[in-house]
Amino acid sequence: MSLGFARKRTSNGGLASAKSRFVASVTIPLLLYESLGVFILGWAFALMFFDYSPGRLGGPILGLGGSNPFVGLGNFIEMVKGTSVEANLFRISLKNTLIFAVVILPLNLAITLPLAWLLESIGSRFRALYRTIYFLPVLTSSVGVALIWMTMYDPQAGWINAIIRFFGGTPVSWLSDPRAGFANVSVAMWAVILAYLWQDYGYNMVIFIAALQGIPLELKEAAMIDGASPWQVFLRITIPLIRPTMLFVCVMTMLSSFQVFDIIQVMTNGDPGYQTQVLMLDIYKNAFRYQNMGWAAAESFVLFLIVMGVTLIQMRLLRTNWEY
Amino acid sequence: MTATTLPSPRTARQIHWGKFFSRLLGYLVLTLGLSLTLLPFIMMILSSFKTNLETLRVPPTFWPENPTIDNYLRIFNDPDLPLLRFYANSAFVAIFNVVTTLFTSALIGYLFAKFEFRGKKLLFGWFLTMMMIPTQITMIPSYVILARLGLINSLWGLVIFSAVDAFGIFMIRQFCQTLPNELLDAARIDGASEWQIFLRIVIPQLGAPLATLGILAFMNNWNAYLWPMIVLQRLEVRTLPIILTWFNSTHTGQGGLVMAATVLIILPILIVFVFFQRWIVQGFTMSGIKG
Repeated sequence: MSLGFARKRTSNGGLASAKSRFVASVTIPLLLYESLGVFILGWAFALMFFDYSPGRLGGPILGLGGSNPFVGLGNFIEMVKGTSVEANLFRISLKNTLIFAVVILPLNLAITLPLAWLLESIGSRFRALYRTIYFLPVLTSSVGVALIWMTMYDPQAGWINAIIRFFGGTPVSWLSDPRAGFANVSVAMWAVILAYLWQDYGYNMVIFIAALQGIPLELKEAAMIDGASPWQVFLRITIPLIRPTMLFVCVMTMLSSFQVFDIIQVMTNGDPGYQTQVLMLDIYKNAFRYQNMGWAAAESFVLFLIVMGVTLIQMRLLRTNWEY
Repeated sequence: MTATTLPSPRTARQIHWGKFFSRLLGYLVLTLGLSLTLLPFIMMILSSFKTNLETLRVPPTFWPENPTIDNYLRIFNDPDLPLLRFYANSAFVAIFNVVTTLFTSALIGYLFAKFEFRGKKLLFGWFLTMMMIPTQITMIPSYVILARLGLINSLWGLVIFSAVDAFGIFMIRQFCQTLPNELLDAARIDGASEWQIFLRIVIPQLGAPLATLGILAFMNNWNAYLWPMIVLQRLEVRTLPIILTWFNSTHTGQGGLVMAATVLIILPILIVFVFFQRWIVQGFTMSGIKG
């Protein structure tokens, strides 16, 4: 048998062949299943070079060719310098995705790191309770989160405008006003960013807490005895020691915000005026609403390249190993 | 190095007060964060007990004026909304996926940890690569395949592509490497077959990692939205998150009703969390999988 190959040549030949039979009985179905995965991947790769719609009959192999013509790099060229509606929307979506990810990251860190540090440095009596509650939104279905926040953003009966009115401000149509904005980012985008932050920050907190617990107490105590203030301890000892965790958190946060879909699809579906149209949403609409699957496959490849790039940067940066 | 001098009683008291205030401030900040986290949940629950008319009022009321369970009754008695059926759909998808991924993770993880065979490294590298590929790449061809097989609107179509979980395999492999070979060899000498060894000796040792993986898989499936939305287009086969958006779009302006439905769909997972907290937090910390 070519696949099964027992390592130890036992005096008992039966044992070895039983082992190799076992290996074969697992690896052969596994190989078949994984081949399906490779087939799907190959198909996805092929799709982006075609103008493919599943409604058209197309050529003999997977419906490619014929009325689903081969366009080569046409889709990608169109993305870069095309003037079609799709190309414009792709560029808008890419820009919105970048804005979303770049705004989320610092806000998330600014909330989670100090809170985790506070929670860790404070007495342990309520720590578990705090952590439990901070983690609740992470487990809540994004659709639920979106609906809860939609009621809060409601222009008339929502709480956020009620608070604004209470302080004498003018209420805002958070999810539908295309003109209002802050720091060059539209209010609708801010609204989904806030809801996303609320759902997501507990995850990073738990990771930071785990990392902070891993720092030996003697290091902090030694610094305190040498006269360092708590602030200095935080900056000079804690931060450098959790650097690998910080990088991990940064990358994970970036990756998941590049792929954001659920919350935005439910809350705005890209509105107003495509101001919250992100890449995943654009891919979804092109592939499953407009049946423009070749184009959508090309778009998802671009998203994949971004995700891959971030991951590779992470791997390079994480190569420093800390020991203490 | 400077010699530490004993602080005078006065400075000791100052330090004590300083500590007290910084602790107090810390608790205040933490509790503020806590309230901001809890308030949306509380408002959801309170709104679900309001009449639909009250949810439209400006300014909004905090406590329900005339608390009513009418919204819940309407949902339970709505003939167009067979809620039990949707729970059953979600539960089927989640439980089926948990069972299959746990079985394949345990089996393949054990294989990679304890057996040597030709092409093992290659196969493992293959897994590594497949794990890096995000679902949005494979989503489109997977859909076309399901459509050709007539598995659109089938719950089987939803679970067919997620029977093997690369992360689960990695985790079990790590864990199996710590199992002593003597244990397995002793069973072999006693005449146990390889499958018996796996089922009776290896699986019982994997309780902790399987529990963590299982709960993670359950949560991810229960909350999954994009792929079920693509595959399940007929109403009666849908899972809960898709039903929730559908319910919201067909009941606009009825805030109390929608919030009651949201409570009903969020609640099971939060109850699961309270019971399995330790495993869940551990699992999330290890996996880097986001909900």
